[in-house]
This record gives sequence, C-alpha cells and structure tokens, in this order.
Amino acid sequence: MNIVVCLKQVPKKDSILRIGSDGKWIDERDISYEMSEADAYALEEALRQKEKHGGEVIVVSLGPERARQSIKEALAKGADRAIHLFDSVFDTATDSAAVARAISAALKDEKYDLILTGLQSDDYGFAQVGLIVAEQLGLPSATIVMEVQPEDSAVRVKRELESGWFQWVRLPMPALLTIQSGINQLRYATLKGIMAAKKKEIREVKAADIGLTSDDLKPGQVIERAYLPEKTKRTEFIEGKPAEAAAKLVEKLRFDARVI
Amino acid sequence: MTIERETLEMDVLLVGAGPANLACGLHLTKLIAAYNERSKQSGTKPLDEVNIAVIEKAAEIGAHQLSGAVLDPISLRELIPDFENEGAPLEAPVGEEHVYFLSEQGKIPLPILPPPLRNHGNFVVSLNKLTRWLGEKCEAAGVNIFPEFPGTEMLYDNGAVIGVRTGDKGIDKTGNPKPNFEPGVDITAKVTVLGEGVRGSLAKQLINRLKLDAGSDPQVYSVGIKELWEMPDDRFAPGSVIHTMGWPLDSHTFGGSWVYGMRDRIIDIGLAVGLDYRDPSIDPHHEFQRFKTHPLIKDLLGGGKLIRYGAKAMPVGGWYTMPQLTSDGVMIIGDSAGLLNGERLKGIHTAIKAGMLAAETIVDALIKGDFTRNTLGVFDKKLKDSFVGSELYKARNFHQAFDRGRMFGLITEGVSVLTGGRLPSKLPIKAGHEHMRMLKADEHTDRYAGLKYDDKLTFDKLTDVYYSTTHHDEDQPAHLKVADFNICVDQCTREYGNPCQSFCPANVYEMVDAGEGKRRLQINFSNCVHCKTCDIMDPYQIIDWVPPEGGGGPNYRNM
Ligand SMILES: Cc1cc2nc3c(=O)[nH]c(=O)nc-3n(C[C@H](O)[C@H](O)[C@H](O)COP(=O)(O)OP(=O)(O)OC[C@H]3O[C@@H](n4cnc5c(N)ncnc54)[C@H](O)[C@@H]3O)c2cc1C
Ligand code: SF4
Repeated sequence: MNIVVCLKQVPKKDSILRIGSDGKWIDERDISYEMSEADAYALEEALRQKEKHGGEVIVVSLGPERARQSIKEALAKGADRAIHLFDSVFDTATDSAAVARAISAALKDEKYDLILTGLQSDDYGFAQVGLIVAEQLGLPSATIVMEVQPEDSAVRVKRELESGWFQWVRLPMPALLTIQSGINQLRYATLKGIMAAKKKEIREVKAADIGLTSDDLKPGQVIERAYLPEKTKRTEFIEGKPAEAAAKLVEKLRFDARVI
Repeated sequence: MTIERETLEMDVLLVGAGPANLACGLHLTKLIAAYNERSKQSGTKPLDEVNIAVIEKAAEIGAHQLSGAVLDPISLRELIPDFENEGAPLEAPVGEEHVYFLSEQGKIPLPILPPPLRNHGNFVVSLNKLTRWLGEKCEAAGVNIFPEFPGTEMLYDNGAVIGVRTGDKGIDKTGNPKPNFEPGVDITAKVTVLGEGVRGSLAKQLINRLKLDAGSDPQVYSVGIKELWEMPDDRFAPGSVIHTMGWPLDSHTFGGSWVYGMRDRIIDIGLAVGLDYRDPSIDPHHEFQRFKTHPLIKDLLGGGKLIRYGAKAMPVGGWYTMPQLTSDGVMIIGDSAGLLNGERLKGIHTAIKAGMLAAETIVDALIKGDFTRNTLGVFDKKLKDSFVGSELYKARNFHQAFDRGRMFGLITEGVSVLTGGRLPSKLPIKAGHEHMRMLKADEHTDRYAGLKYDDKLTFDKLTDVYYSTTHHDEDQPAHLKVADFNICVDQCTREYGNPCQSFCPANVYEMVDAGEGKRRLQINFSNCVHCKTCDIMDPYQIIDWVPPEGGGGPNYRNM
C-alpha cells in the first residue's frame, strides 16, 4: 500500500510571536519551526500502515528551504522519499486552494492508495487543503479520522463527531483522509534512521516542473491584518454557595475563557 | 529490565554542539582532506573514511547556547579566514565602549578602560546564531549532526573511554517505558571529545572517575542572567558596549553586567553573578531585576519590550582550575575544561581554538593508530603553548583575588594586570558553594523587600521563564537528582533556608506544604533552562543535574 503524507512546517508551539512589520503576518525571524502536530500523527499513521501492509510512504511538503528540516525528520522516522515543492513562485500560495493546486499537480504522476493530511495546520488552521486536493484529484475523502483500517480495495475509517460520538465509514481507495491529532503515539527518530535518511531522495519540484505559473497560484483569499489578542480586563464575582460557585467557575473557565 | 541496545560505530564522537566541538569537527574534516591530498601526491597511504558524529541534547543546534557575547575573532579567523564573506552571523563590530562603577543611583565612568575589557576589533554576536551557522558548515563538510541525543553515560573498556551511551527516550515519570520507548544507543569511537560546556554532566563523571582534577584547584563559576529587549528606536547602536561593576551586587559577590547593542533595535542585557557569594538568600534573577531599576538602565530600556530570557553558568576559575585534558580515548575541551578567560569574560575564542588543536591531535592519532594518552596527551601541552594558555596564564589570579571580596579583588586585579598576572604567590581558592554562610538562628532578612515587578521593566521568575521558551515532556522522571530529600526539609531549611529556591533562575525548586505542618521539596523540572547553577551551588552537593530526554530544555534564539 502506497501512502502519500502531506506535511507542513509551522512555527513551534510556545514560540514568542511578534507581528511582522507589514502587520499581515508574524515576524518569521528568530523563531523555530516544527512539523505541524496533526501532520506528525498523519505521518505516524502512514508508517504504521506501511509496517503492516508494506508499500511506500512518500511525503510532500510545500514550503521554503527550512521545511527541509521537517522533511528530513519524516525520512528519519521511516518515510521512503520526499517531494519538496520549493520555489519562490509558491510564496504567493497562501490560501488553501492555491496550496492544494500545487500539491495536486505534484501528485499527478504518483501511484498511491491513500493520501493522508493533518486535520488542520497549527498556523492558519484552515482545515481545507486536504479536501481541496481530494476534489482536484477526484478522490473520496473523510475528515477528522481517528482510526484507519484498510480492506481489499477500500478503507474503513472511524470519524470523530461532536460530543463523544463516532462514525465508521467505508471509502473506496484511493482516498484522502485528514487525520486527527492523538490517534496514535508518535515515535522518536533513531540515530540509524537519521543516518539512513541521508541517502533518501528529496525531489525538489519547481512550479514550472508541474506546469504551474504564478497565475495558477494566486490566492483567492488574503490576510488583511494579523494582531495579537487585545487584552481586556474584566472582573466578575460569582455568587452562591461555594460548591455551586465552583461549578460555575469551572463552566466559565471551560466555555468562556476556554482555558481548561 | 534488560534493554537491548544498538551500537553505532564512529571514529570520532563529539559530545555537545558548542563552538568548541563544532570547530573541532569542521577543522578535522579540513585537516583530513589536506592530509589525504598530500598522501595522494607523495604516494603514501591516505586515511580511510573517518566518521565523525556530534551529539547534542538540544532540539536544534544552538538552542542551548546562551552567551554575552562579544567575540574575539582571533580563532574564528584561523578556522574560517574569510568568515565575514562566508556569511558568519555577526551583529556588529564593537563600537562605543563604556565601563561604569555603579552605586544605587549613581555611576562613575572608568576614565580608561582596563585592558582586559577593551573590545576594539571584536564583534557583538549571538552565540546561538553563530553555533547554528557552524553546525551547518559541519554538516556540509560531512559531519553527522544529531540533535536531541544527550550523552548520559561514558563507556569504558579497561579504563579507556570507548564512547558514550545516549539517553533513553520514552520513559514515563515513574521510570517505566512507554509504548514508544526508544532505548539509548551505544556510540563507540576511537576518540570521544567532551565539549559539553560548563559543568558537563559526562565530564563530571569522567573527571571524578579518573581523578583528572587531582592536580588542580576546584573550579569556580558565575551564572549569567540575560534578557533581550526590542526597542522602538535606534537609541543604542549595534555594537555599543557597556559593562558595569558594583551595585546591585554586594561586596562579597563577584560579578558585573553587560549591555550590548544588536541588530534590529535589540538590546542584549545581562548580569553575571559569582557562584561563590556568601548570603544564601541571594537570587541572581532578582539581582538582575534590581539592576534594571538603576537610572542608567531604566532610561535605556524605557519604552522597550522584553522578548527573551535565559540563564547559563560559566567557569571562571581559569588556569589553576583546569583538569588534565586527556586520557585514553578521550579529550575535554571548551568550558567543560574551564578554558574560559574570566578576566575578559570570554570563552568562545578559546573554545574554538581548543577545538582546532584537538582536531590536530586527533589527526595525528588517526595516522598513528594510537588513541591512548601517549598521543592524545600532546593536546594538553599544545593548548598551554597556544594563545589560550598564555591568556589564561596571565589571568591566573583574577578570580582568586576576588575570592577574598571585591576591594581586595579590585586592588590585586589592578596589580595583576600591570604585572602580567604576577602576584607574590598563588592565591588559594575554594569551591564556590563553600563560601555560602549559614543562617544565624532566627535570621529573617528580606534582601528583595523593595523589589517590585511592574511587568514593564521588571518581571518575576515565572514570567521570565516563559520568555525562555523552555519545554520538557512532563511525563518523564525529573532530571534533577536529589540524593537525599531529608536534608532539604530538615537540615537545609535550618542552616541555609533552602537556597535552591533562590539560586535557580527558573523556579524549579519550591518548598511546598506537605500537610501536617511539614514541607517538602517540589521539583518543577519542566522549567529548567539547563544553566547548571544548582549542580554547582547547592551547599550540600546533593543535586546532580543529568540530561533530560533529548530535545528538552530551552529554545534559545538570538541569545
Ligand atoms: C552569560 C554568559 C556570557 C558570556 N559572554 C561571553 C562573551 O561575551 N564572549 C565570549 O567569548 N564568551 C562569553 N561567554 C562564554 C562562552 O559562551 C563559552 O565559553 C562558550 O560557549 C564555550 O563553548 P563550549 O563549546 O565549550 O560550550 P557550550 O557553548 O556551552 O556548548 C556546549 C553544548 O553541549 C551541549 N551538551 C551539554 N551536555 C551534553 C550532553 N551530555 N550530551 C549532549 N550535549 C550536551 C549543550 O547543550 C551545548 O549545546 C559567556 C558565557 C555566559 C554563560
Ligand atoms: S534546575 Fe538547576 S540547571 Fe535547571 S534552571 Fe534551575 S538551577 Fe538551572
């Protein structure tokens, strides 16, 4: 079974973010990057499926030169080869549709049974690239996937619904799945894996190689302004018996403040 | 639990990706290439492929590097002659320089800069950036670089070092393997070079076991607390340098501050506090916060924004505290070997030079096929004969003089600089933690009663720790090993008032209520910024800092 994993490199969680001078995105200097969390789980799922069913894991990433670091990490963990969409022409591809167009074009000549993406990236959080890729490649897709069980020419997947409900669906393969964080336990890259990764192929693909021009990569949607949450202070007294007040407090912390 | 471990065979293993080892790795590749070129021409046998590996505990190369830093380029020039054009990340050449002696409100400029503090021709750099760059150079030259792999144990065969075991990954907080458990690997090598920086955890094991410090004085240390500030304007030009002595440190505390101008309107500011102070309630983080309230600094930082925080210790004992640097199969370089020049507060140039000299010795050993001290021991002599040796020798009495208090220090230091380090006799020295005095019965003084945190200029420890972007997986055993917790709750509370709560710049140690009127020591290890202060300054020497799971720790950028 051949599996393609789409992965994106994003600013490391807990980074100290500053807004860039154009006010439209963060200042990308002096921050560290990592594989987007859900993508890491998608990669892990692909590696586990490969261990069970054989085949090849191919990672695809669109991003600047630094994205190579995450690609190498994927190869060190056991992916077989990689495609790096690396071209200044891609810089304008900042919305999901443009990114998806590039990925779909790059996958046109690949043979795969599954394409896995993370549910959503930790930076923009659009949760759409995977679905648009599926549309463009004419594949069935399932989102928020918690479990993957390949059968002969189909795949059964468990999807997470609201409030503790799940759903099992069967899709014909090839199919595209967007993977939820936490569905498996991530492995560590080993020293031998890192050594072996040095010999694996990272194919750099430019827009022209896959027949795209800057017109094809124009975003339909642009970010107008990026800003840090504006702090406002609000004090509220919760009345009532201690136990009731505590329950109310928990509710507020969970649903209003969203901190627990 | 018996664990099956893999073995990875290397020829040269460099532990710690700091300037010392990266210079060593890079220089090795050049020397080997040059040797092979020569043997091709002369028809002699070239060296077989030499596998070189660097292991580093941080998640990325440079992420655990924190320094001033003003770089004396002498050895970088030798390693990479055209470093400016090769893209070395330099902030700026040192420009205007000032040294002040501070009192609480005032400042006295030193009319002439003492020679050790003169920085003309040097560069303001971020060590973290410089290290990252050196790491890329090494990798391009074929050195294997492995971040996220701390060395946790030395491997010996008949007393000779044969490599290092890396840390296990995926152990839960009770010490049991998790489903993704990944055992550490035995990396074997003909030569292992420890360049772990200050108070190296493997160097500590090795030096104790082989008694490599038998002929030297105990090492003494300072800890540097540092912040980066982003300013709204260009008030402090890149390359500007200020050093201060005096306030807020008391006369029994060694240390001083630095303020360096970086690019992009960033001010790099910090305070070094000698880890041989007397008052057990001294808190280096708090001293630094106080320092910022001095009119000189308050005005300088006004309107700016804190963007980074961090702390790291440095060895300042110098010449007489250096251990034996080599033994069979192993060498120690950089801060791990105490090669920092405390008088100039500089160790990057000596670390790089030591790395290069170590590389020369390793090539000789590879040619001879002899990795015992007979061959490696040449490094001890080479180092002492190099500029590193003469610099350290000149400054040999610097900290020793301060050991007796600041006034004595300033006077003897003056004499010492004038006479090239010659004092009537070698001054004795004792380990820093032995200077800490015990509390008198019922002693309660709050040194920091006047210190307020306004979240603009001054910050409490936890806020500052946030700005160090430190991360450890919580589900692992604490990497601060306390040999006997009973000493903490009983003896230490009485004798020293649990100074770990004060000297740790990251709020790792906390005495908390244990019920029934008792207290216990809580270790918030996930805050640890790997500064090594606790391992150094704990008065009972019962704290052992060992590396946590690979990748854990601060994520310093631009520090
Ligand atoms: C606050 C401060 C200010 C300073 N200012 C200056 C200055 O202005 N100019 C100057 O020249 N010098 C300055 N120094 C000194 C200088 O930073 C050091 O001398 C220099 O960094 C030493 O280099 P090193 O390679 O020996 O060690 P380090 O730079 O400390 O590197 C050691 C590396 O080894 C890693 N490591 C440690 N243990 C292990 C292990 N067991 N396994 C794997 N990896 C490990 C560490 O994570 C680290 O990355 C300053 C130091 C401090 C702390
Ligand atoms: S626990 Fe020790 S090494 Fe860690 S930050 Fe505190 S003093 Fe430094």
